[in-house]
Amino acid sequence: MTLDLNKVAGSIASMASELAMQSSKRVDALNAAIGKFENPGDITLLKQRLAQAKTSWLLAEISGSLNQRFEPLELPPDYLVIATDGSQIDIDRHHPARCCLINIGSIYLQYGQNPASMLESEPTLFSSPEELILKPDGGNPGREISIEGPLLGIKRTVEEFRYLSQLARKLSAGLPALALVDGSLILWGLMSKDLPDFVVDSLLDKGVLKYISEIEKLNSQNQLALASYISFPRSTDVINSLRMTVCPHQVPDCDKFCTGIASGERPCDIMAGVVDRELFWACLKNNQRSDVFISQSKISKTRYGCNQIYFFYIKTGNEIARVEIPEWVACQPELLHITHSLILDQCHKGQGYPIALSEAHEMAVVSGADRQNFFYLVDEYFAQCKLSTLTSAKSASKKNRWI
Amino acid sequence: MNQKDSTKLGVVVSGSLSQGILARLDSNTSVEDITVGHLVTIQGNTRRFFGMINDISLETSDPGILLTPPEAGEEFLASVLRGTTTYGTMQIVPYLTLGSDESLIEGPQPVKSIPSHFSPVYLASETDIELVFGKEGSKNFFIGNPLDMEVKLCLDLPEFVTRSNGVFGKSGTGKTFLTRMLLIGILQTDAAVNLVFDMHSEYGWMGTREKASPVKGLKQLFASRVSVFTLDEKSSQERRVSTDFVVHLGYDEIEPADIELLRQTLNLTDQAVSATYQMRQRFGQKWIEKALALESDGETEDVLKSLNIHEATFQNLIRGLNVICRLPFTSPHVETRAVDKVLEYLQSGKHVVLEFGRYRDITAYILVANLLTRRIYSRYRENTEKAMAENRPRPKPLVITIEEAHKFLNPAVAGQTIFGTIAREMRKYNTTLLVIDQRPSGIDEEVMSQLGTKITCLLDSEKDIDSVLAGMSGKSGLKSVIAKLSAKQQALVFGHAVPMPVAFRPRDYGSAESYEQFGKMPAVSDSQDLEDLW
Amino acid sequence: MDEASSRIAEVTQASTAGFFAQCYELFDLPPLGSLIKCRDGENEILAVTCNASTSSLEPGRRPIARGKTELTEEDVFRSNPQLKQLLKSEFEGVVLGHSFNNEYYHYLPPRPVKLHSFVYLCTTDEIAEFSRSLEFLSLLTSARTDIPSEELVAACIRFISACHADPSTFTAAAGKKLAQIFVDDYPKLRTILLRLKL
Repeated sequence: MTLDLNKVAGSIASMASELAMQSSKRVDALNAAIGKFENPGDITLLKQRLAQAKTSWLLAEISGSLNQRFEPLELPPDYLVIATDGSQIDIDRHHPARCCLINIGSIYLQYGQNPASMLESEPTLFSSPEELILKPDGGNPGREISIEGPLLGIKRTVEEFRYLSQLARKLSAGLPALALVDGSLILWGLMSKDLPDFVVDSLLDKGVLKYISEIEKLNSQNQLALASYISFPRSTDVINSLRMTVCPHQVPDCDKFCTGIASGERPCDIMAGVVDRELFWACLKNNQRSDVFISQSKISKTRYGCNQIYFFYIKTGNEIARVEIPEWVACQPELLHITHSLILDQCHKGQGYPIALSEAHEMAVVSGADRQNFFYLVDEYFAQCKLSTLTSAKSASKKNRWI
Repeated sequence: MNQKDSTKLGVVVSGSLSQGILARLDSNTSVEDITVGHLVTIQGNTRRFFGMINDISLETSDPGILLTPPEAGEEFLASVLRGTTTYGTMQIVPYLTLGSDESLIEGPQPVKSIPSHFSPVYLASETDIELVFGKEGSKNFFIGNPLDMEVKLCLDLPEFVTRSNGVFGKSGTGKTFLTRMLLIGILQTDAAVNLVFDMHSEYGWMGTREKASPVKGLKQLFASRVSVFTLDEKSSQERRVSTDFVVHLGYDEIEPADIELLRQTLNLTDQAVSATYQMRQRFGQKWIEKALALESDGETEDVLKSLNIHEATFQNLIRGLNVICRLPFTSPHVETRAVDKVLEYLQSGKHVVLEFGRYRDITAYILVANLLTRRIYSRYRENTEKAMAENRPRPKPLVITIEEAHKFLNPAVAGQTIFGTIAREMRKYNTTLLVIDQRPSGIDEEVMSQLGTKITCLLDSEKDIDSVLAGMSGKSGLKSVIAKLSAKQQALVFGHAVPMPVAFRPRDYGSAESYEQFGKMPAVSDSQDLEDLW
Repeated sequence: MDEASSRIAEVTQASTAGFFAQCYELFDLPPLGSLIKCRDGENEILAVTCNASTSSLEPGRRPIARGKTELTEEDVFRSNPQLKQLLKSEFEGVVLGHSFNNEYYHYLPPRPVKLHSFVYLCTTDEIAEFSRSLEFLSLLTSARTDIPSEELVAACIRFISACHADPSTFTAAAGKKLAQIFVDDYPKLRTILLRLKL
């Protein structure tokens, strides 16, 4: 007897009806957002307000126009797509072996006259303290951070970029190419205030950003674009920026003007609850992309430097996706075109989701069975070396279920 | 005895000595090539068996095939099934066996065992046939070829004539040809002298052939050794037959026993028959003449009364006697008795053919044949007994050929007629019969069983086949062979003179070449040889 | 045929009576009923091909239709170059016999083929030599396969007969042998024979 769905069914039903009741409100909010999107008034003024505004929300900085749409250019005759994705087996604190595993799937697809493909997966085991523990360079030895849990996730992202840069080196020069990763280019997980700086330094500066820069260096002929693809994004950056158009205050400052006002009552709440993708689902035609915005996230602004993150939305036919790109891609029209048209093509080939990413995921994925087999293998080798394979009582009780 | 020369037909799969042997045909043997009557050899572990195929059947190991047999266009399927899932079997009656070295000298022996499982069955080779039936020679007369074979099938004629024999077959199946050939054989091998009662005038001179030109008779081939007697001089002259003697019968030669045999044909009552004996006693040798005279003379009543003969019986008898007396070759008294003449010729080694000319009436035939035979037989018996007593060579064997034999040998009269006696007494007095008949079932069973060798052409009445085969072992097998003989030019010979039954195609008769073969005289007539035989 | 080009697949699952093998090239499957062999030291194990399939490498992933907007079937693979990496062609081999000391035996070898053994196509000469005795038919006809065994038997005989100087004679002899084997199963025999031609 595990989860009794009967007991929760009533709550599910009331949740659904609550959402249904809110839907008319949401339609009004969406229409308000669409209205402001189409007629934002003076863009220069808006840009000023955005720059001055002190909001509790993340704003999207408008780099070009707010509401311009772009059609994809024709696909080049021959082109390449590379992608990586990863998954991990985290440290099992119930297991005597302290180790974790990251499995990276690498995809190389060449389209056109000489189609070719390469699908690989590469698992890496992390078990030595050097691999598992982050320390400041020559600094205080007491400050040590173990790589597990969310940090392992970030470590995995670093690995993904490492493999992506390796793949990029193998690209045959002279062909337009797109390097794709799944998820955000922004390492939100590093924004926690608890993390010491050497951790961010190790994972970001000496990690992701290093590899992004390596990829940029390969972009000698303005033919290699880098992008990340976010399916079904819940971001509200663009909506938040639109809110600024209805803010009655000269310089929007939420803390200053609206702290006492309940959520939903504030002037800008006429478009509350709407997310960017709903706006662009209404405002983009199939295959179109939105204009490019600049992420106002602190880490991007302060840490990414020349790789500062830009993004746009794209309507693939199945959904609105958010595509994030480093500044060097956003500022090169050719690269932007490559990104736009190749992502669309990838989505078409992949039944709505970039085929390279889905194959990378397939290569990388670690199933529950794989996880079990992994630990079985670890036990085997431990036994061979006469190491203790005692597990925690909790783990044992999970394995051997009894009545 | 190289079996590789012969065609292998199949292997033995089951069987018994009483029921015959069942052999499965090899897959490459077409069941259509196997015919009933074929001679086969079976190579057992230690001995060889000779037998004859008497039945063929189609078998299947899977009855499912019968539900969905291969259709037209499915030849491959059919060809695979043939000989494997569906196959042919043949039933073989084993007759002879050849085993150890000992029996090689003695020749094939009657079977007392059967071959073991999977013994190969071969079509009998020419060597086999010669081994079993002998090579053509002074005693072995070539009578024809075994079915579908080139080798000469021979009959040991001196052995043949030691017993009474029969030739049977439906009318038109070639009995006459067979008989003529046998007569020539007897002549050529000098095995015996022939007396032929030639009812249809076919043996002595020209013989008829259906839908073909006439064939030569015995006299034409062996002018010096065959004499033709005739009852009908006119007919003989018309046919330009050079006759040696014209037969006339005197009334005084006819005995009541002769009349008795004619009871049916003359429609006589039992009383009338017994009256003849009384009259013979009363009137002596000339009893017929006197009996006929009674009619006109008036004293009849007294005589009859004294003989205790009823008037109606007497009239019945007189009617019958009149039929005889009206026969043109009869007269009250004849100077030269035909019996003496026939005997004279026979004793001088000449073969006698008695033509009946136009008198094909069965009355005439029975009367003459019976009358002559009885007298000749009794003379032969005397001579033989005398010779035995004086330790001299016996007289030459005599073969009497009679047609329509069932008239003489039917159960009602066989007990009384001379023919019945001859048939039963066998070779005791050097006289045997060659019985020719189309209705063997009409012949007395005992007589049939005494016939030594039987040669039969096609018979289709179950009764006839049964009577021909009476007393044969493996009867049921031979039955199918007889019933399946072709209507012409095929015959089955079995019995005393052949080691085993064999179906054969009689040798050609009627071509110039055949006359040359048949006309050959025996190389040396070695009487010493004959003596040894007897 | 040199050795390299006759090497077509590799054993991925093996048992005494047969094995599964994965082709080195997608779709490069030996025809149904053809003879293949694996080496085991000096000796060889001969098998007949059956149950060929091309499917996803991963059991959980099913291929989907991709050609709606493509002009040709080749274009499907041009537009989806990853497909060749995600699909596999494999087939089953049913063991028909083996060789030992250069002599063929038409019964099961003492040990199954080794995993990852290379699978080679048999040469015409080898097939003719192996099928000189029709004893191999008993293993062939008793093979338990997913396809109807009649189909396998017929295909195999068709294939082997083409390797003989006189195919008709071989087919006829094989037919007779089958009739002995299926002496009590005429429908099966009939089904096979109707699939053969002289």
